[in-house]
Amino acid sequence: MILSGVLLAVIGLGLVGWFAARGRARLLYTGRGSMHSMPGYHGWHMALWILVPALLAWSAWSMIMPGLVDGAVMADPAAVQLPAGDMHRAAVLADARNLAANPDAVAFDPLAEELAKPMRAAQGRFSAIGALLVLIVALAGGGYGFTRVRAGFPARTHVERAILALLLIASLMAILTTFGIVASLLFEAGLFFKDVSPIAFLTGTHWAPGNARGVDIDGNFGAVPLFWGTIYIGAIIAMIVAIPLGLMSAIYLTQYASSTIRKWVKPILEILAGIPTVVYGYFAALTVAPLIRDTAASLGVANPSTESALAAGLVMGVMIIPFVSSMADDALAAVPRAMSDGSLALGATRSETIKKVLLPAALPGIVAGVMLAISRAIGETMIVVMAAGASARLSANPLASMTTVTYQIVQMLTGDQEFNSPKTLSAFALGLVLFIVTLILNIIALRVVKRFREAYE
Amino acid sequence: MSNNSTFSSPAFAKRLARRHAAERRFKLIGLGAIVLSLAFLALLLFIMMHNGLGGLNWNFLSGSDSTDPHTAGIWSAAKGSILTMLVTLLLSFPMGVLAAIYLEEFAPRSRWIELVEVSINNLAAVPSIIFGLLGLAVFINTLNLPRSSPLVGGLTLALMTMPVIVISGRNAIKAVPPSIRDAALAVGASKVQAVFHHVLPLALPGILTGTIIGMARALGETAPLLMIGMRAFIVTPPGGVTDPSSVLPMQIFLWSDEIDKAFVQNTSAAIIVLLVFLLVMNGLAIYLRNKFEVRW
Repeated sequence: MILSGVLLAVIGLGLVGWFAARGRARLLYTGRGSMHSMPGYHGWHMALWILVPALLAWSAWSMIMPGLVDGAVMADPAAVQLPAGDMHRAAVLADARNLAANPDAVAFDPLAEELAKPMRAAQGRFSAIGALLVLIVALAGGGYGFTRVRAGFPARTHVERAILALLLIASLMAILTTFGIVASLLFEAGLFFKDVSPIAFLTGTHWAPGNARGVDIDGNFGAVPLFWGTIYIGAIIAMIVAIPLGLMSAIYLTQYASSTIRKWVKPILEILAGIPTVVYGYFAALTVAPLIRDTAASLGVANPSTESALAAGLVMGVMIIPFVSSMADDALAAVPRAMSDGSLALGATRSETIKKVLLPAALPGIVAGVMLAISRAIGETMIVVMAAGASARLSANPLASMTTVTYQIVQMLTGDQEFNSPKTLSAFALGLVLFIVTLILNIIALRVVKRFREAYE
Repeated sequence: MSNNSTFSSPAFAKRLARRHAAERRFKLIGLGAIVLSLAFLALLLFIMMHNGLGGLNWNFLSGSDSTDPHTAGIWSAAKGSILTMLVTLLLSFPMGVLAAIYLEEFAPRSRWIELVEVSINNLAAVPSIIFGLLGLAVFINTLNLPRSSPLVGGLTLALMTMPVIVISGRNAIKAVPPSIRDAALAVGASKVQAVFHHVLPLALPGILTGTIIGMARALGETAPLLMIGMRAFIVTPPGGVTDPSSVLPMQIFLWSDEIDKAFVQNTSAAIIVLLVFLLVMNGLAIYLRNKFEVRW
């Protein structure tokens, strides 16, 4: 394509401009203090004047060109036979575009073959025009930049202003991402709530999107069993595993272990946090779940299922241990040493000091850490996809198969169904709920941590 | 005298012994918690090694996915991972570093900047599957980028990795003492020069450490890529960033779903390969931190 070739040409021009302006600025140099800016800055100033306008022109043209090409093709005599329907017409045009780009491609419509030739001609014409336009803009920018190379010209100030603009744009990406998440979730969830009432979604107890049709659609999108499964696995079972193990290992490492042991054990413990969740999921499905099923069977439970909430929650809890441990570590370290020293001086043993002084003092920090751990556990996907199962049920039996919000999001979006059905859109509604809940947990936890730190400073 | 008798009474000795026993018990419980956690890690690694080591050979490393477990290999998925990581790195590293510099060195105190900081801290804690939903809605349904391609996967993971890089970058920049900036400014450098010529090079090892850790996390990520359709059955390695492709963790997920028992070996072997990759990356991060860490 000419249009991508011109991009290389513009970059080449920028390079030439950089050298030219720097060389000219060097010629102007007559001694200390004779110029405002170093020659290199003049080079950058010139290069920016070539690159920025030309790249803007290039992206603008790439955006409007498809419309111009389609317009030209529609003016072609062969286009009279084009079907009137918008959808159908767009499909034929897309076919022709495909054919124009790749002559070996197979068209579904004979009309597309006829249109491929004018399509190719129009594309050639318009990309040539675009290339010319971009080159003119680059040369004009370069010409203007070159006239500015003068001894007194503050090139550095201008270049630095451009750098600051770049920095600002980079940091605004974070807001843009947040905005993108919120907007896309709200938009798609809004489409979903046009079909299904939000109240039925948030309070209904029957989840069966597969047979949701027509009038009873509300009754089949009750998400309460999913919320229950998520809480049961992520906030109850996983925390029963992670809180005692994480907290006790943090206490041991900070209060009892020698520094050599701490130096070795802590990084090894953190490996647990670095193992990909898909590996945990596989481990849960391959080893832990069958183990639990067999144990349950030998204890006399009738027909225990292969997929159980217990297996998923257990493995998830282990994954969270290092997280809880390091949060507890921070919280314990924030308690002033004088407090535990005082307790020890009064004759309390170490464990008494920990239980009666350290833990109560560090409690807000630990609770905040647990909240962050819960927010991480309920957003966890692969472990539950591989080990928790698909049946949406309200049950307190840890051996039952249970489903979660994240599992259903994956389930709804990985089939081959059309995109705008309520079934696929429900994934975005679930995503919205998950996003809001984790956001609230995080905000509260971060605020608690902050206030807790301030209390001891 | 009376004091002495209190401390030597049999009741006191008994109470003291009980308290010391409680102390020992407590310490033992702590040790037990660590041993239990490490035992779980050891068991996981042992089972993967036990199942997978037999399947690691050249054909496995250089082959592509196949319906036959004995000829299936991971090269196509590994290549997909490499391309995806390349896209992620090229986008998230410059963006993350530039944003970190701005927030730490230039940003004025204002409502907007506060909003940026809050959103970065929150993005770092948003569940990864939400980023997948974003990628699906924006990159695929709105911008019509090619489904299941490393390009879309890399873009999605870049958005996820950027906050990690920004946070570690800010900490690294914050650790550079102000005297460095003052010295540069004192000899006539502009603020931008002081930052880019002096602060940034000193902060770079810390930024790189954070970047590697963020990339390691992205490499093991599966859920967001599931959302953007990277679960296709890929027989030929992708030729470019717009070809349909798979990635290593996705290959593990796909194989784990196979009914054929022989795929257990493949899955475990792929897990070993992935873990080796991650171990090397984390090792590199630790090495960088130890080698270049300066205590001011």
